[in-house]
Formats: sequence, structure tokens, C-alpha cells
Amino acid sequence: MRYITTEGLTKTFTVRKKREKGRLLREKTQVRALDSVSFSIEQGELVGSIGPNGAGKSTLVKILSGILTPESGAVTVDGLVPWQERRRHVKNIGVVFGQRSQLWWDVPIVDSFSLLRDIYRVPEGDYRKRLDELTEALDLSSFLRTPLRLLSLGQRMRAELCGSLLHGPKLLFLDEPTIGLDAVSKLSLRDFLQKENRERGTTVLLTTHDMEDIAALCPRVMVLGHGKKLFDGALPDLLSRYDKVRQVTVRYDGDFTLPALPETCRLTREGADCKITYEPASLPTGALLSLLQGAGAIRELTAQPQNVDHLIAAMYKEMDL
Amino acid sequence: MDTVKLYLRSMKMLLRSQMQYPASFLMQTLAQLVMEGGEFLAVILIVDRFESLNQWTAGNLFFFFGLMSVTFYLTECFGRGVTGAFPGMVRSGQLDTLLLRPRGVLTQVLCSAIDPRRITCIAVGVAALVIGCQMSPVHWTLLKALAFAESVLFGCMMLLGLFLIESVLCIHSVKSVELVNALTYGGRSACQYPIDIFPRPLRALFTMVAPFALVLHVPAAYILDKPLYGWPGFAAFLCPLSGAAVFGVMYLVFQRAMRFYRSTGS
Repeated sequence: MRYITTEGLTKTFTVRKKREKGRLLREKTQVRALDSVSFSIEQGELVGSIGPNGAGKSTLVKILSGILTPESGAVTVDGLVPWQERRRHVKNIGVVFGQRSQLWWDVPIVDSFSLLRDIYRVPEGDYRKRLDELTEALDLSSFLRTPLRLLSLGQRMRAELCGSLLHGPKLLFLDEPTIGLDAVSKLSLRDFLQKENRERGTTVLLTTHDMEDIAALCPRVMVLGHGKKLFDGALPDLLSRYDKVRQVTVRYDGDFTLPALPETCRLTREGADCKITYEPASLPTGALLSLLQGAGAIRELTAQPQNVDHLIAAMYKEMDL
Repeated sequence: MDTVKLYLRSMKMLLRSQMQYPASFLMQTLAQLVMEGGEFLAVILIVDRFESLNQWTAGNLFFFFGLMSVTFYLTECFGRGVTGAFPGMVRSGQLDTLLLRPRGVLTQVLCSAIDPRRITCIAVGVAALVIGCQMSPVHWTLLKALAFAESVLFGCMMLLGLFLIESVLCIHSVKSVELVNALTYGGRSACQYPIDIFPRPLRALFTMVAPFALVLHVPAAYILDKPLYGWPGFAAFLCPLSGAAVFGVMYLVFQRAMRFYRSTGS
């Protein structure tokens, strides 16, 4: 069942520049935040959306959650047009902005939760049950009675997540939820999201810059850039397009003569280390190894793991973002 | 009813938040007392000099001052979301958060701020009212009490409506609020005195545009047993309704403006 569909979604912002000297009026420029974006998401899917800063990711989330109205294009979420039937729509969604708090700053978080219960008109029984579940899953019990402002970033994010799930939304938007979190908090947050998605069938749209989030959570990834959708599919498929080179570092014992390598390889020396970048497609690793071995006695050899961030950077560069 | 309950619960929580910083609260409350006390002193000095203004005696003037103070600061205390907090909510993105919840935007804006420091200003207003009633003197009847309640209630609505103009401009990212302040704070300063002491253009402004005179002064004249500017007695009960009209119109304008809301960066 299609849960979210968008068709030709376009949103432009008018940016007024500072008035230049000698001009009467300020110059205006139109910025296309989204440029005819179309996609659909099934119920229960976990989709990641990536793209450089200013690509339109947040604008997309804001339109899908009913905060902004697009100029043109059609959107339905669970059969509703978000900005036309805002109140009915937001009843079924939860949103977490990593950089913006939805809870009240100076009161214990459990008080914030009970006010949210009133706002969403959650029946008392459902609320109790859900709060207990979430308290356990997110490990909130030790700071339920602590004001939000005294919590660490990791605790705060868990509290925010709890707040956005209390009314049992069918769709969850997460905008950079792991920003600034330590490794342990990130891992437990990912575990929780996976469980929430699997067990309750919550549809999740995750916006992030952290490629590990995507790799760990999202079977499907969308790449946005300059307001356009550039890729929509599985992460390995995306990476294999750019994942063409490998890197090894070799350290020789004593003297060695540098091997003559094909043109596709690049060799840099850093002290006693030789760093070789090569394309396995044109030069098989076996062939490279025998070349290297012929040059001298190898003491150490390290193969660098592929770095997703580098791949993404290469991709952004190639897509001219 | 549900909305009223939500508002009361929100207020309770906001009060508790404010009480997390008792020293700051106490000092600011005292500062308010000095400010509003100073305003009251100005009226006392005028009364001391002139004893009466047009047809109005000293007690009448205190009554006018008190009525304005109570109405204005009740609005600022309980309508803080509209009277002061809204521009900040737009800039910080808090308004986005409100849009994500299944309640009316204005309801939530009103639910998200309170200004209990105004309690001292309200107290000064009440004191002025009591003194004014004693000196005038006012002979209370049920109808007069009704006129008084109407006046305060619709006065608050009118003020909320006027402050909403600022919110609407803010949504359209216009930052100049001075013009609006002329109506709200200017209206308060001017209309704590009876309207008939002012020249015609000001009278027109505070009757037609920002109907302070209709909402506060007509019922006040009725309560003080003075002629209602040549109008029949029931005008004292009809005129205050213009406050509700101001609020109603601005409410619709606000709803329309929200469609043009463009949010801020993430």
C-alpha cells in the first residue's frame, strides 16, 4: 500500500539580498528548494534521505509534515494532503528535529509528556501503556523527573523521541536525529528505530548526514541535490557506482625499487610508507601484489577499508553539488 | 471545554517553569510595580493640579486609569503568546513545532507563554479602580457589573486582536512593529484618560480603528452615571462588542497569513 506519494513537488523561496548602494530596491532571487520531486513510499518502509546542506531535505520534510505549502505538485500522505488537512494529518505523524526541541525546557520531561497527551487527546490507558513501553525501550526511567535543560544531549534526544511517539504515529520523520551523539547513544538509537519500524510497522523517513545511519538502518536511500532527486534505490547500488578504487599501504624492509605501475594507479610516499591507489577493475589485486612483492621485502601491508563519507563526497562532486 | 482545560494545564506548567528562577521573577515583578506605580502617580499629579478634566472628577479619572490597567495587563499576562512571544517563536522555529500538533495554531500560541510579572500591574489597576469607585462614588447595580465584565472581557479580546496585527506582519517577515505599538501601547497611554479630552483625529483613531473608546469608555461612562456621548443606555452593552469584532477580523487575517508562513532553516 502506498503511504506517501509525491508528484512534481516544487517549492521556491524568494531571498531578498541586502540592498546595494545606489539602488532603490533590494534585489530578489528565487531559490528552488525543491524542483519537481516525485517518489512514493510504502507503508512500513524505512527510507533515508541524504544530500549536501541546502539540498532541500528539510524543506521536503516540512512539506510532508504540513508546515509548508508547495507551489505546485501533488502530495498525499495516507490519503490526506498535509497542508490542507493539517490537523487530521499531524495526528498520525511524529517529527523529531535534531536541532530543535519539542519539549518544554524547564519542567521534568514526564510533565512535558502528559501535556502532549492532552494536546493529542491520547486516552489515559493508551498513554500509560505507551509511556511504560517507551520508558523501557529508551531507558528513560532514571531521568523522567529531571527538567529537560539538565539532560545530556543523548538523554535529550531519547526524550524527544519518546515525546514524538507517545501518540502512536504511523509515520515518523527524523531530521538528523544522531547529530552530536556519542557512539553508544547512536547505536542504541539505531537499534530502537529498527525495532520500532519492525515491530509496529512505523514508516520512517530519516534525514541525515551520517552515512553510518543510512548503512545501518535504511534499505532504501534517496539522494537530493539542488532540489532535485538524483538517486532513489539501495545504498550498495549507489555506492558501487562510485566505489571503484581501492587503497593499500606497503612498508618495505630496507631498500626497494619502486615498481613500474600502470597509469591507472597512483603512488604516494609518506616516509617509509608507500600508498597505492588502484582500480581493481583494470588491475586485479593479485597482479598488483606480485608487482609489489617483486620490488623488495614487504614488512607490512594494510588494505584501507572503504570510507562511505569519501564515496559520498566523490559522488556529490561528480553530481556537481 | 477541552481547549480551556489544555490552556489551564499549559498555564500551570508555564508558571512552574517560571518559578524555577524565583529571584529573577521577584526582581522583575518589583520592577513592574515601580513602572506601573509611576504611571498611576502621573494621574494622581494631574488630578492634584486640575481636580477635574472636562466633566470628569478625580475619582472618575482613577476609575478610567484602573479599568485600562486591569484590561491591558490581564491581556499581557494571559495572552503573552500573542502580545510578546510570537516574533521569537517565528525566529526560533518554535512555530514549526506547533504546526506539527493537532490543535489550532492560535490556541497553541496562547498556550505557550504567560507573563506572571504583570500581576503587580494588575494590582495597581485594581487599587486605582477601588479608589475610583470610593471617590466617584459608584453605586453598583447588577447591570453595571455586567457592563464592567463586558468591558474587561471584550477589552482583552480587542487588545489581542490589535497585537495580532504584529504577528501577521511577523509571518510576512516584516520587522517594523513601531506602527503596531502606536495602536497598542499608544492606545493604552492615551485611553487611560477619557476620550473626550483628545482632539478629533485621535478620537477617531481610538473609536474607529482601535475602538478603545467603544470598549472601555462607553461602559465606564455608564457605570459612572455620566451621559453616554449622546447615546442611549443600551449602547453601554452593545459598544464593547466591537472588541470581539476586532478580534474576529484579525483572527481570520491571522489564519490567512499562516498560509504564507515560510519557516526558518533547519
